[in-house]
Amino acid sequence: MRNRFAATGRRGALTLLALVAVAAGLVLVVVAVAAQQSAPRPPRAVGRIDPSPTAGAAANPRASASADPVPAVSGPTSTPLGASRPVRITIPRIGVRSPVLPIGLADDGTLAVPQPGPDLDKAAWFQNSPTPGQPGPSIIEGHVDSDQGPSVFFRLGDVRPHDTVRVLRRDGVTAVFTVDAVRDFQKRSFPTSVVYGGDLHTPQLRLITCSDFDATIRHHVGNEVVFAHLTSTHR
Amino acid sequence: MRKSLRALVPIAAAAVPFAVLAGPASADTGTSYQTTLNALNHSSGSGMATVTVHGNQADVKVSWSGLAAQFNGGDYPHVQHIHIGGQGACPTIADDKNNDGVISTTEGGPAYGGIGTTLSTKGDTSPKAGTDIKIAPAGGSTDYSRTITLSNDTMQSLQAGTGVIVVHGLDPATLSKQAQKEKSDLVPSLPLAATSPALCGALSSMPSGGVATGTGSTAGVEQLGTFALGGGLLALGGAAFATRRRVSAGR
Ligand SMILES: [Cu+2]
Repeated sequence: MRNRFAATGRRGALTLLALVAVAAGLVLVVVAVAAQQSAPRPPRAVGRIDPSPTAGAAANPRASASADPVPAVSGPTSTPLGASRPVRITIPRIGVRSPVLPIGLADDGTLAVPQPGPDLDKAAWFQNSPTPGQPGPSIIEGHVDSDQGPSVFFRLGDVRPHDTVRVLRRDGVTAVFTVDAVRDFQKRSFPTSVVYGGDLHTPQLRLITCSDFDATIRHHVGNEVVFAHLTSTHR
Repeated sequence: MRKSLRALVPIAAAAVPFAVLAGPASADTGTSYQTTLNALNHSSGSGMATVTVHGNQADVKVSWSGLAAQFNGGDYPHVQHIHIGGQGACPTIADDKNNDGVISTTEGGPAYGGIGTTLSTKGDTSPKAGTDIKIAPAGGSTDYSRTITLSNDTMQSLQAGTGVIVVHGLDPATLSKQAQKEKSDLVPSLPLAATSPALCGALSSMPSGGVATGTGSTAGVEQLGTFALGGGLLALGGAAFATRRRVSAGR
């Protein structure tokens, strides 16, 4: 009798312990899973890079190579603006609204990137490229993530052709761009002339971030580039 | 060559493929320069230019619009050059030495230097063709693309960061009364407006390769500690159940 009671008591305690441990364990695993965040994977190639083949004879024919057979984003190209530095970028589709700071080249000749500190998670405009709305490709980059987690262009992989990107300039004019194409390039074969050059006639915007994290070398091996052209301007 | 040095040759040769692999690999070979072209002398134009150098050849693209379109009833010729050997900068109104409201080509000289290469539409690209309006792009806008041979002087200036693209030719109506009566400092038979700089841009290196915009902090598994604790508790729960079953079985 005594033995059976003792056994029943032990069984009850073990049942309780097991239930509590399993419940708490499940909660923690669910919390950890919910905390997982990974940047959306950009498509390899959607859309056409040169928005209007008729606009600007300087359009690089190679620029549209390897494009999907998706019809080009139509819509007129707006008249170019004069020079005025960008101060803020807004990408409604992915909830981006960020200040934009000017940035130059790094010592190794690559585009410098925002450094740890208050500006780390801000977008940056390459100061030798046209200001947004001027003729040619204006370059704005942002980190996909930093040591602190997701950064300003974390969700750039979700941007698609026809999406809108707005850039407010210091002169108070907002340059509105329409996305033409998204490309995922390998850094080792990064087509600099397509990204930083190409059609020098049409006011365009390029958004750049990192993609394709290679876990074995702990580095991103790709760069996602969003190609857009100026479709309107307003104050 | 000394014997010991000669012995090193195969080693050096073997190292070459690695050196090539380690270099900044890019689909575009050659060095590229770029600039935006901004208005000088109250001209209304704007544009952009790129110069991609392969050996002594250069793919030059110059695109601009908004300049004076007509001159003496015809398309306005806009001579354009890579200027070299100056400060690698565009002049400001402070360089208007004679205070006529126009920075002449000569007055801009200290900032952008002299003509290194003439960006003509055909034929001669030397400084001698600098004022040949017959082979200059004509009209209010252009999309110029030409592969040319660069002189050593121009090449060195590009590398030194002192190459400047200048497009000439102003609308005479935008000049002061005084300046409208002046003759060109380059070609005395032409008015000052015809040869004065309208657009200017100092060439600088195009970024090379890709961009380091990420650390991968979100690429792996986050909250490892939470996962471990949760997993540990699940294991403990499982063990407790197993023990309970043994206790029941041993009844
Ligand atoms: Cu010149």
